Amino acid sequence: MQLRINNRVHAIPPAWRDETLLATLREFLGLVGAKFGCGVGQCGACTVLLDGEAARSCLWRVADVADRDILTVEGLAGAGGRPHPVQQAWLDENVPQCGYCQAGQIMSAVALLRAKPRPNDAEIDAALADNLCRCGTQQRIRRAVHRAAARS
Amino acid sequence: MRRRTFLGLGVAFLAGCSLPVIPKRPDPTPEAALGWIRHVDGRYVLSLPRAEIGQNIATALKQVACDELGVGWDEVDLHLPATTDIAHVRATVGSDSVKDYALPLARACATLRKAVAAGRTEGVLTAEPRPIGALRAFAGRARHVGRAMPLEQADAIVRGAPVYAADTRRPGMAHGQVPRAPATPEFTSSPAAWDAAAARAQPGFVALVEDPLLRQGESMGLGIVAETPGALDRIEQALDIRWRTDGSVGQNEIDERIDIDRRLAGGSLSYDLVDEPLDRDGPWDVDLRLDVPPAAHTPIEPRAAVAEFDDTGLRMWVGSQDIFYIRDVMVRRFGLDDEQVVVHGRRVGGAFSGKTICTVELEAAVLARAAARPVKVQWTRGQEYRQGFHRPPSSHRIRARVRHGRIEDWWHGFACSHIIFTNAGLPPWLQRLTDFIGDRGVARGAIPPYRIGRRRIEHDLERLPILTGPWRGLGAGPNVTAIECAMDECARRAGQDPVAFRLAHIEDPRLAGVLRRVAAAANWDETRSPPSDGRGRGVACGIYKQMSYAAVVADVAVDNGAVAVTRLWCAHDCGRVINPDQVRAQCEGNLVWGLGMALTDGLPVADGGVAAETFAEAPVPRLDQVPPMDIVLVDNGEAPTGAGETAIVAATGAILNAVRDAIGIRPTRLPVTPADLLRSAA
Repeated sequence: MQLRINNRVHAIPPAWRDETLLATLREFLGLVGAKFGCGVGQCGACTVLLDGEAARSCLWRVADVADRDILTVEGLAGAGGRPHPVQQAWLDENVPQCGYCQAGQIMSAVALLRAKPRPNDAEIDAALADNLCRCGTQQRIRRAVHRAAARS
Repeated sequence: MRRRTFLGLGVAFLAGCSLPVIPKRPDPTPEAALGWIRHVDGRYVLSLPRAEIGQNIATALKQVACDELGVGWDEVDLHLPATTDIAHVRATVGSDSVKDYALPLARACATLRKAVAAGRTEGVLTAEPRPIGALRAFAGRARHVGRAMPLEQADAIVRGAPVYAADTRRPGMAHGQVPRAPATPEFTSSPAAWDAAAARAQPGFVALVEDPLLRQGESMGLGIVAETPGALDRIEQALDIRWRTDGSVGQNEIDERIDIDRRLAGGSLSYDLVDEPLDRDGPWDVDLRLDVPPAAHTPIEPRAAVAEFDDTGLRMWVGSQDIFYIRDVMVRRFGLDDEQVVVHGRRVGGAFSGKTICTVELEAAVLARAAARPVKVQWTRGQEYRQGFHRPPSSHRIRARVRHGRIEDWWHGFACSHIIFTNAGLPPWLQRLTDFIGDRGVARGAIPPYRIGRRRIEHDLERLPILTGPWRGLGAGPNVTAIECAMDECARRAGQDPVAFRLAHIEDPRLAGVLRRVAAAANWDETRSPPSDGRGRGVACGIYKQMSYAAVVADVAVDNGAVAVTRLWCAHDCGRVINPDQVRAQCEGNLVWGLGMALTDGLPVADGGVAAETFAEAPVPRLDQVPPMDIVLVDNGEAPTGAGETAIVAATGAILNAVRDAIGIRPTRLPVTPADLLRSAA
């Protein structure tokens, strides 16, 4: 079995096929950007893109995403490691406090901007309300999405 | 033979049983500070003497270091040290990292700069005393201090590079979990029966671990080690553990034991904070009750640790506010020397005072020893609620008399469970000893910063069957919230504007300063007529730990009992600001926490413990609940203090006062719910 992640194909041995996508990304492949926060799809820390749409990697079994295009936060950067516009906006707005939720926030923002290149506040809130942040970076997240939208 | 057996048991008893390890709290010395900064091959390495928990202290202290060394941002490399890299530093708690560590670091950097300038590039330096006026970082013409800088580790965070404990991977690493009875760790519980054969038959099974060291509080767990995280779940299901538990507790018992009116009816409370003679029986102008429920810290990162034993001892990677405490626990529990335990502190994915004790770390170490492999353990969300400690519930009664526009009498009684002397760390017999001196965490913020004729401020401490302990701001959040609600009612009673009324009572000019600044920022209008459209505005202010000042204005809209906070303003004074952008970030975080206190935070108790499994039972503020926030920083050059827990003391009160302004109902129970407001309105 294989997974196509960030435009690379990875062979997945049998011991990992019943695992969640999140566990396999983190523990087998070492792609630790997606985080475990709740395990039931409520917090969004594990968000990745499946065929371009935001998905909770803690809810997907590896065997069920074998034919999908998986994009993780590690696959966002462009040529030479140049940050993706959303990543750059997160840096410019100094968004992270503890930072643990931010990879998931960024992936949800990327999915939002693909669907709605110029979202307003209400659309940002609707798209990212299920990405929880306990530190209180919400205002900066909103600003960073606007900044990324203006740049792309 | 008998004697050897006896000795062995004795060692096991001392190493394994319940004698708690008490955290040490050394002050940062000039000698210790010299160990935080080193000159290596023409560059500088800053070994961060604080845990990086999201306050971005690494960035702030690097700013100080760069200015004092007189070097550019790219010439100093950040290093998150292990316990063997620097002298013992105390836990990262209490918003004291800038206050207590910036000056020693600056002095160390000044000493190092002088030595390097004199051509010395090797050897150990002696600390030289320097007054603050002689330090470049605080001289007012610094290149880094006083500005926003790129955040240390932010690039790694947005790229998903490994920076947290759970991101650690070691060769041959297995995964562990320690299931426990679904009951509070205050009740004795243990696994009574389980199907070991079925567990061993599961693919990926590595080990089942029974070990006295898996007791936390009175909860005995059963350890599982597996090749993959998913196998842990399958093995736990196959085990089908039946638990033995000796107690039960529900919401009513918690509410009753903490009920302030029941306690006041029984006479005086146990701890007098201020006892000035006042008439406790006559009529009162203001008589207000506020109940605050237990609440979880809810870091998005459930606590995690990786442990690895080898020939030299134990290595650990943790996300803790106190890596030296973790080391001390390991040294005691495993009978090792300090040097045999190396604890690497990683960036912490949210802490909020919750990652101050040793829990998952000991589980990981016990499982790693049993499996003879590196083991990673990360708690589930449910374990965070069931096994962790929480903000204690508290119950407040404030009575006041107002004469000629001034507060004449003030009587605040409250009941709370322990905070600093947490039952998560202290068995009942030891906690009873601490009760002779009281719990300063519970009392924090309880003395109003106002000129008042006569004051009586007293409280009770009650060990509850759920675990309670430090939570952002300790007692200050609930205590100041209650005070600020009562101040608002006193102002109404006096027929005065709440800002003007507070200013007439405030003693400390810095508090008056932030209150005036926030009123100006929010265009506070003393002549405004009462609203009638469900919209309201409230104000509150407070001092945190006698060092930092905040005032908040909140706008709300209340629709059919549902409260939406529509805008927040905050003025904040923590003295000299090293990084204004990050002080703002801390204010923003505190405002969101204040909003959470007002509208979301609470934990249900049922069936023998905290009855939350997921965010559904313990919600936190979401993006669509957080309004635009305006932060005003006041910096008149006083010594730098802290920003991590200040604005929370004013944010909740401002929101509650805005609700009162909007619909005429004084919330008496947190979090404010539509059901409660509609019931009060009926």
